[in-house]
Amino acid sequence: MTFMRQAAYLFFLLVMVVAAPLAAASDDTIVFTPQWTAQAQFTGYYVAEAKGFYREAGVKVRIEHPSATQPAMSRLRANECQATTLQLCQALEIVDGGIPLVNILQTSMNNAMVIVSARDKDPLTQKGARVGIWSVGFGQLAICMSNKDHLDYQWVRFAQNVNLFVSGALDATLAMSYNEYYQLLQAGIQMSDKNVYRFCDHGYNVQEDGVYMTRAYYNQHREQAHRFAEASRKGWEWAAQHPEEALDIVMQYVNKGRIATNRVLQRLMLTEVLRLQADRESGKREFRLRPDMVRQASRMMHENKMLSREVTYEELTENESPQ
Amino acid sequence: MAQRHHNMNKISSYIRRKLSVKVSLWVVMFAAVIFIAALGIFFYQAREAVRQEAINRATQILDKTSLRVEGILNRVEVATDMTQWLVQRHPNNPDSMFVYSQGMLLNNPDFYNCSIAFEPYYFKEKGRYFSAYTKFDLDSLRTIQGGSDYYQYFYMDWYLMPTLLDRPCWTEPYMDFDVSTNSYEMVTSYCQAIKDNKGRKIGVINTSLSLNWLSQTISGVKPYPNSYSIMIGRGGTYFVHPDTTKITRQTIFTQTLEQPDTAMTALGHAMQRGEQGIKRMSINNEDCYVFYKPLGKTGCSMAIVCPEDDIFSGFDRLRRAVMSMVIMGLFLMLFFFIRIITRELSPLRRLALEAETIASGQFDAQLPELHRTDEIGQLSNSFADMQQSLVRYMGELQDTTAQKASIERDLHIASGIQMGMLPKNFPTYPDRDDVQLFASLVPAKEVGGDLFDFYFHNEKLFFCIGDVSGKGVPASLVMAVTRSIFRTVSARETEPHRIMTTMNQAMAEMNQTNMFVTLFVGVLDLPTGHLLYSNAGHDAPLLIAEGVETLPCDSNIPVGVLPSWSYTRQEAQISTGTTIFLFTDGLTEAMNADKEQFRQERVDAVAAQALEQRSYEPRQLIAQMTQAVHQFVGDAEQSDDLTMMAIQYIKKQDDPDIHKTLVLSNDIQQVPRLNDFVQEVCADVHTPAPLAMQLQLAVEEAVVNVINYAYPPDTTGDVNIETIASDTQIQFIISDSGTPFDPTLQPDADTSLSAQQRPIGGLGIFLVRQIMDTVAYRHDGTHNILTLTKTLKS
Repeated sequence: MTFMRQAAYLFFLLVMVVAAPLAAASDDTIVFTPQWTAQAQFTGYYVAEAKGFYREAGVKVRIEHPSATQPAMSRLRANECQATTLQLCQALEIVDGGIPLVNILQTSMNNAMVIVSARDKDPLTQKGARVGIWSVGFGQLAICMSNKDHLDYQWVRFAQNVNLFVSGALDATLAMSYNEYYQLLQAGIQMSDKNVYRFCDHGYNVQEDGVYMTRAYYNQHREQAHRFAEASRKGWEWAAQHPEEALDIVMQYVNKGRIATNRVLQRLMLTEVLRLQADRESGKREFRLRPDMVRQASRMMHENKMLSREVTYEELTENESPQ
Repeated sequence: MAQRHHNMNKISSYIRRKLSVKVSLWVVMFAAVIFIAALGIFFYQAREAVRQEAINRATQILDKTSLRVEGILNRVEVATDMTQWLVQRHPNNPDSMFVYSQGMLLNNPDFYNCSIAFEPYYFKEKGRYFSAYTKFDLDSLRTIQGGSDYYQYFYMDWYLMPTLLDRPCWTEPYMDFDVSTNSYEMVTSYCQAIKDNKGRKIGVINTSLSLNWLSQTISGVKPYPNSYSIMIGRGGTYFVHPDTTKITRQTIFTQTLEQPDTAMTALGHAMQRGEQGIKRMSINNEDCYVFYKPLGKTGCSMAIVCPEDDIFSGFDRLRRAVMSMVIMGLFLMLFFFIRIITRELSPLRRLALEAETIASGQFDAQLPELHRTDEIGQLSNSFADMQQSLVRYMGELQDTTAQKASIERDLHIASGIQMGMLPKNFPTYPDRDDVQLFASLVPAKEVGGDLFDFYFHNEKLFFCIGDVSGKGVPASLVMAVTRSIFRTVSARETEPHRIMTTMNQAMAEMNQTNMFVTLFVGVLDLPTGHLLYSNAGHDAPLLIAEGVETLPCDSNIPVGVLPSWSYTRQEAQISTGTTIFLFTDGLTEAMNADKEQFRQERVDAVAAQALEQRSYEPRQLIAQMTQAVHQFVGDAEQSDDLTMMAIQYIKKQDDPDIHKTLVLSNDIQQVPRLNDFVQEVCADVHTPAPLAMQLQLAVEEAVVNVINYAYPPDTTGDVNIETIASDTQIQFIISDSGTPFDPTLQPDADTSLSAQQRPIGGLGIFLVRQIMDTVAYRHDGTHNILTLTKTLKS
C-alpha cells in the first residue's frame, strides 16, 4: 500500500511538469487535494470542512486525497481537482516548467526539513555519505546545501518511509520535522543535537506548504478562490485554538483513509505544523508568502541549475498580469 | 479510638489473668513462626520452580516458532538463489524472465509473489521499466510486466536494499493490498541483486512470502490465559498485537514518545537488535514477564507477554489454600489448647478459692480431694499440709499471745511499782524556804534502769541520781535494789563517799550478772549550803548560778564493779540561788533520726539559755530541757531512759550581826584572850549571862583541846576561832592546821568517874556536846575544822 501511495505522488509531479491541463471545472465546486495522505499536516482544511467554514463562506469544497488508482495531478488535469498544496520549491519548479500557478494561501512560514544521521554522527562531518531523499522531489534545499558545503552526499532516492534508514542501508536521511522525524523517533532512533541538522537554523529557512491553483482556473474563479482561502485560514486558526478537537477531526480522516499512523504521531505533527506556521520574526501566524524567501529559494535553485530562471514572487501571487 | 484502646487494654489484661490463654498463645505463636518460616522457604522454592517452568515454556514456543520461520525463509532463499543463478546465466533474454518468475511460484506454491526487475532501460526494447512479476490470482498464476510510471520499482526498498547493503536481504514486512481478494496481506520480501559478468548491478530478484500464517501462529501463542504475543519489525512497528488498531500503525516506542518508559524503550531496542531474552516489567500497570526472540532473518522479533499474576495464578491458589488451612489449624490449636489447659488447671482455681477462704480466717475449710499424682496433685497435698501446719501454728500463736499479754500486764504493774518507788512530792518554795527540787524520769521501755531519790534528814538533803547498765526488767531490778540500799545506807551514814563505798560493797558482792550503776550521791547541808558529794562514774552535774559550770568530779568507777573500791569525798559551797542540775546519759546521748546525739554542749546551751531568761527554777529548767530534747529527737524512738533532777538552793542566809575572828597560837597562855573574845561576842548578842558562861566553857574546852593536842609538842601553830553570831544563833568555827583529829568520834566521858580519874579530853567533848546544839567536824585536807553551833531562844 505504502509504495502505491508514494507512486501516486511521483506520478503527480511528473504530470505537473509534463502536461499542463488548463481546463476549468464546469462545476463551481472546488475539489481540494492535499499533496499527501490524510494527516495532521492538513488539519486546517479538515476543520474548515468538518466545522462548516466552507459552507458558511458560500464555497463548495470537497477534499479528495490522492489514491493509488487516481493520482492527484491526473485529477487536476482531468479537472477533477482545482486546488492542491505544494511546497514553495516544488511550486517554483512547476512554474519554471511552464505551468503558471497562483498561491492563494501560504500556511508554512518556516522550513521543516532536517537531516538525521545514523550512529550519533554530525551530518556535516559525513562527507560522501549516502543520504536518503524523497523520490518525489522535496529536498531541493538539501541538494543546494550539499553542493555549497562540498559535502558531496550520494543521494539515494526512495519512495518509501523510514525503513531504509532504519534497516541501516543509509548513513543519513532527509526528514520533515513534523512527519518523518517523529516516525524515526517512533522507530527507536535516538535523536540528539549532534545527529540532527535543521536547515532552518543554517540559513535555509524557506517556507514550505501553501495552497496553489493553476492561474487559468484562478483567473476564472477569483471570488471562490478567495473564499476558499479565507475559510481554510479560519480552519487553521480554529485548530490552533482547539488542538484536541481538531485532532479528533484529523483522526476521522485518518481512519477513513486507513492510514497507518496513530494519534500520538498526529498530535506531535499538529503541534509542530502549527509551530512552523508562526513567523520567526513576528511570532505570528501570518499566512503570507514572503518575497524574501521566494527570492532566496529561487536564487539558490537557479544557481544549482534546478531552475532555468529565477521565478519571482509576483509570478506566484494573484495580481500578476498574465504573461 | 479511645474505645478501641480501652478494649485492647481489656483484652491484654484478660490474657495476663488467664494462664491457659497465655500458654496457648505462646505455643500457637511459636508454631506460627515455624510454619511461616517453613512455608516461606517452600513458597519461595515453589515460586522459583513455577517461574523456571514459565521460562522454559515460553522459550520452547519461541524456539519452535523461530525454527519454523527459519525453515521457510531458508526455502525462499534457496529458491531465490537458484533463480538468480539462472538469470545471471541468461541475462539477455527478457522474456525468459517471465518463465523464471513463474517457475518460482509453480515450484513453491506457498510463496506469495516473485519479480525479477531490471535497471531502467536495461532492455532497450522494453523501455524504462522491466519487471517480470508473477503472483497467484485466485488459483491460477498471473505473470505480468510490473514496472510503470505508477510503480517506479527502483525507488522501492526491496530494490534499493540489496545494493545499499551489498548483500541479499529481507525487507521490513508491509501490507500488500490484493485487488483480487480485496484484502491486505502481510508480506516480506527476500531480495537479491542480479549482477552481470563484470559485477555491475543489472537488477534485483525479489521473492515475497506471506506472513499471514506467521501472524496467525504468533497471535495464537497463549501459554497462559491472559498472556499474549507481539511481533515487531526492525522499525519497532507492531505486526502482531492483541490490540489490532496498533498493528502497522504504532510501534513499540509510540507510547514512550508521550510517556517516557525506560523499560519499554529498552525492550524495544533489545528486540530491534535481534537479541533474545527475558525482561520483567510493568505494562499498563501490570507486572509482566516478557520473553522475546528474533524471527530468523526477517529482522522481526517476537515477544510473549505473560502477566505475572497469570504465571503464578495456580501457585497463588495453592498458597492461599495452604495459608488458610494453616491459619485455621492455628486457630483450632489455640481453641483446643485453651480448653485442655483450662480443664487441667481447673483444680488450681478451686484450690485458689479454698486458699481465699483460708485466708479469710476459716482455717478448717475443707480442701478439694484430688486424686492426681502430677504437680497439681503435689501442690494440693502441700496445700493440705500447709493448712494443717497453719492450724497448729495459729493455736501456738494464740497461746503465745496470751502469755505475752500476761507479761505485758506484769510489766505494766512493775512499771507502776517502779514509778511508785520514786519520790513524788517535790518540795517547792512555799513549803520550804531553803531548797526547791524537781525531777523527771522517762523510761525508754515499760520499766527502766535510771533512778533518782532524795529525802530530808537532820536539816540535810540526801539525794542521788543513777543509771543502771542495760535496760528493761534486769536494769529495773538493779535500780530498785540500788535505791533501797541507798535509803538503808544513808540512814546510817551522812558522808556521801561513805554511803557510796558501803553501797558498792553491798552491791558488788551480790552482783552475779555483772551489772553496774553509775551513781551520784550528794548531801546538802541546808542551813549552810554546804554540799558533800561523791560521784561513781556518773555525768558531772551542772551548777547554774552566775554562769553555767560543771561540778568538779573525781573519776571513780561505777558502783557494783569492784567491792574494794574506796570512793572519794568531795565538797562544795552552794550559794543561795544556785541550781544543781543532775542528769543521766539518756539526756546527752538522746538520738534523733539521723543517729546524732544531743551532747553535753546542747545541755550546757539550754542551761545557759535558762540562766539568761532567769528561769532556772527546777521545774522550769526541767521543762525547758525536756522540750529541747523532744525538739531535737523529733519522731525518733527514745533509745535510753531519760532522767533529770534539779535542786535549787534558796536559803536566805541571815546576815550575822557579828562576825569576828580571833587567831591564837598553840599556847595555853592565850586562853584569857579567848575568854575575853567569847564574852565580847556574847555581850554583843545579848546572851544571858549563864548561857554566856556555858558557851565560854564549851569553846574554851574545845580550843584548849586543840592547843594541847593539835600540834606535836614543841611546835607552834595557829588556832583560828571564827564567830558568826546573830539573834537566833551563835556559831564558833575552830580551825587548825595540825594533825587531823575528829574529837566528835571520841567516846563520851564516863561521867560516873571523878574528874581526876577520867582521861584527858574525854570530859571536854562531852561538855561541849552538852552545851552546844550541834558539833560538827570536818577536815578540808589541810585544816581540822570544828563547828560548834548554839541556837538561841529569843
